[in-house]
Amino acid sequence: MRPEAGERDDAALLRAVARGDEAALAVLYDRHAGWLTVRMTRRCATPDLVDHAVQDTFLAVWREAGAYRGGGDVAAFIWGIGIRRLIDAIRREHGPRRQRWRAAEPETVVSAEDQVLAGIEHGRLGQALAGLSPELRGAIEATVLDGLTCAEAAVLLGVAEGTVKSRCHRARVALRAALAGQQAGTGGAAYDQEAWGTS
Amino acid sequence: MTSSFPGAAGAAWHAGEDLLASYAAGTAEAVDGWSVEAHLTGCASCRAALSAQVDPERLARNRSALLVRAAIGDGGRARRLLRRCGVPDHVVSLLAATPSLRGSWLGSVIAVVAVVAGEAAAVSYGWIPGGGLVAGRPGAVILAPFLLVAPLLVLAGVAAAFLPVFDPAWRLAAAAPFSGFTLLLVRAVCALAAALIPVTGAAFVLPGPGWLPVALLLPSLALSAAALAAATVMDPRAAAVTAAALWALPVLWLASAHVPLLIVAPDAQVACAAALCACAAVLYLRRDRFELGWMR
Amino acid sequence: MTLNVSTAAVRVEGLSRRYGAIRALDAVDLTLDRGITGLLGPNGAGKTTLLSILATVSEPDAGRVSVFGLDPADAAERVEIRRGLGYLPQELGYHRYFTVAAFLDYVAILKEITDRRRRAEEVARVLAVTGLEDRARSRIRALSGGMRQRLGIAQALLGGPDLLILDEPTAGLDPEQRLRFRELLSDLPDEPAIVLSTHQADDIAAICPQVIVLLKGKVQFTGTPAGLAGTAAGRVWAADERDDRAHLSWRGGDGRWRHIGDEQPPGAELVTPTVEDGYLLLSHAAGDR
Repeated sequence: MRPEAGERDDAALLRAVARGDEAALAVLYDRHAGWLTVRMTRRCATPDLVDHAVQDTFLAVWREAGAYRGGGDVAAFIWGIGIRRLIDAIRREHGPRRQRWRAAEPETVVSAEDQVLAGIEHGRLGQALAGLSPELRGAIEATVLDGLTCAEAAVLLGVAEGTVKSRCHRARVALRAALAGQQAGTGGAAYDQEAWGTS
Repeated sequence: MTSSFPGAAGAAWHAGEDLLASYAAGTAEAVDGWSVEAHLTGCASCRAALSAQVDPERLARNRSALLVRAAIGDGGRARRLLRRCGVPDHVVSLLAATPSLRGSWLGSVIAVVAVVAGEAAAVSYGWIPGGGLVAGRPGAVILAPFLLVAPLLVLAGVAAAFLPVFDPAWRLAAAAPFSGFTLLLVRAVCALAAALIPVTGAAFVLPGPGWLPVALLLPSLALSAAALAAATVMDPRAAAVTAAALWALPVLWLASAHVPLLIVAPDAQVACAAALCACAAVLYLRRDRFELGWMR
Repeated sequence: MTLNVSTAAVRVEGLSRRYGAIRALDAVDLTLDRGITGLLGPNGAGKTTLLSILATVSEPDAGRVSVFGLDPADAAERVEIRRGLGYLPQELGYHRYFTVAAFLDYVAILKEITDRRRRAEEVARVLAVTGLEDRARSRIRALSGGMRQRLGIAQALLGGPDLLILDEPTAGLDPEQRLRFRELLSDLPDEPAIVLSTHQADDIAAICPQVIVLLKGKVQFTGTPAGLAGTAAGRVWAADERDDRAHLSWRGGDGRWRHIGDEQPPGAELVTPTVEDGYLLLSHAAGDR
């Protein structure tokens, strides 16, 4: 499962793609199309649209590989392109005037981000988020809700990239614990302590 | 809920099999989903594990379609521009297969126009010595070459849209369900427009009546329509040659009489307009000829 | 792509076509069933004319044609026929600047596949079937003859046709390429009705369960390859020497002379006729040689 030493890493593959190496594009596809397909499917339940968007994404990678400046994960670069292509595909399919998210249409699933936005105002998720420290919450919102890369979120938050990553990690720990705590009916304090306890 | 709890900070966290499976199946909770997604961005081995859960046939199908689309390419700036303007993609590809819309052809047209117009302009502005001074009316006859050549260049572009010699795969187009008439019209109209641009542009440079650029429009359209209409009743090559002769002979005759501009005089324009309407009608009424075996 | 296919994919009655004084087809009647049918005949026998009429590219002067029960003389039905057709003409031209993928994309558009992604999937499919996936980006003019023929088949396969019309698909191929081509045809998915023309009898013997012999615009034989071979039964001899009285004599691959004639040449023995023998006998009878 681990990529063998001696295989090119993703950044090298992207550089090869920028030079017009089609075989590198194929390898990139083999490595990334799987998770891209799943991640898009979580945002759009129509398999056809996802297929189109996946193809469009790698075509865009084929054309725009030169735009990758090596400042973040290649996977994040691909997702940044991919989410735009998915939105384009959805917009083409459903027309520019219709909203992307309509509860009546089963095809277009509410995105995870929007679920979160809905949950923030009214739900246990909101409470859980509220229980986070501002730093953790900021990291979550930047990277999850806005779909930014850790590098972009790092710039936004004014901290180092590694800090963003560890904050997100801790925030997820805390959120999961808080949600489990809510479910179980116990207070959140004990779990919060556990969360704060880790550095 | 899930079988992988994050350990203390510093321990490597990987998405467990169950979590990946539920994520792939779409049954993972929102927060778990975020966890997985954020983690996948940085972890190649979990990405590979997730890929194994996706339908391999679907992945293979998209892969080969992707490689084909990459092989076809998007054709360059002109085609991208057309697509962005809303022209359907398949029409753009059909146009790309037209010889008279390719850079080399248009470049040749521009070159010919430049030479002919340039020479006429140079003579009339006195940069090079030349003839054409007759009875105190310099300039009229020096326009004759341009008047002769310009609409013929437009006709040539249209002819390249339907003559089988310009379409090596014409038999495939004939045996295919795509409407032959539609194909022809789309190509002819675009070739017409493309050729008219350098022609009209050069007409501005030339000395002569100010309405010269506009005056070439109707004759060019009429000629093209005549060639297409004639192709419904005779061999397409003969049709193209006939149309060319219908223009060349009068121009040459008028030029020999030193009044070449009469070919674009208002009377002639009216005649061209009438011819255009008549030919368009014939073309429309006999359009079925383009659907079956009209190229013998 | 399914049309109303009865047992007979194609029916032709009294088909005639002339070019000036030459009668390319003379009152041809035939029926093509599903499966592979070979059209055998020398150059100028009318094979190309017949196939181009079946492909709705030409019109006959007289006679009736029915493809999938539809009449190509009617405009709407003709378009329907074309939707189920795949055609490889004898001289297939390509624009000089086309790559393999771009050319197939172009033909796919002509076959009314307007969606870009569906086109790409269809092109990928035929590239896989004909084994040309690695050459998708090559320019056509850089391909060898055998690959160009494969490309010709690939474009005919676009859209999954119900009737494949292949005009001299093995011409210009060397024996190994011809072998691979035959394998390709026999293994096609969707199993369309196939009619292919050739002037080589061993193509027929190898892959066509049905054969029609066309000579000078007329059908001279319809049946199986075994039946065609059987028409020369009792008239094919092998000997060590020439015999000038035989209708036809030639040196076979094994070094011995082969004679086709009614009388037994001296020192010759009767041999089992091949498809080619039957064809040569028919040609001779029709006065082509």
